[in-house]
Amino acid sequence: MSISFGSALKVLNEIKATGVVQEYAIGGAMALVFWTEPIATYDLDVFVLFPPQEGPILSLAPLYEWARGRGYTLESEHIMIEGVPVQFLPSHNALSDEAIETARTMDYDGVAVRVVRPEYLAALYLEPSARTPKRRERVAALKEAGETDQALLKQILQRYNLEE
Amino acid sequence: MSPQPVSNHVRPTSELLDRLHAAKRTLHETHARLPLSAKVGMVLQLQRIVLPLLARQRPLRYWERPWEIEP
Repeated sequence: MSISFGSALKVLNEIKATGVVQEYAIGGAMALVFWTEPIATYDLDVFVLFPPQEGPILSLAPLYEWARGRGYTLESEHIMIEGVPVQFLPSHNALSDEAIETARTMDYDGVAVRVVRPEYLAALYLEPSARTPKRRERVAALKEAGETDQALLKQILQRYNLEE
Repeated sequence: MSPQPVSNHVRPTSELLDRLHAAKRTLHETHARLPLSAKVGMVLQLQRIVLPLLARQRPLRYWERPWEIEP
């Protein structure tokens, strides 16, 4: 084994540099690693904002074309990037737009990587479509995480009507 | 109301339970404070532990396999 997790993270910055995506931020369980205790997970969720496209319906074709050009295999909804199955999640609403835009740049073994802040991660888990017992546990862990700004979290939950 | 069943089991004191819970909290906090690469290493280890157990319960999905990478 010679590929490292950092290699996959570097590629995320490359995708942004090529302009295929306008902005990105790691979300989901791998984002938890940056803020609290790690949990088992099998893919890397990356929230993305795409540059303007023609037509009202978002197309992932440019992303898939880029992946093929780089020799990365596509497996249904995942792109295998440097040994890691990555799922690119187009921003689905104003909350996820804000989560991407306000992501914090973290350092992972010398690679700068954008990660959804814990307050937004918790809010995304509390969206009605995402609210499961497992995710509520994650929210509880995030609320206890030292890095979480409780006032900001409260404000986000109020603004998006996500209070528990 | 039916009477509580009588048990002869010896029970832990609340102090012992508190100590056990506190130790568990400390362990979680220690994990949370590990360097990032150590935490990614834990994710990789968890994948190797959890996936075989999951596979006993249901067919694994195509992305559910250990990442062949280093932290």
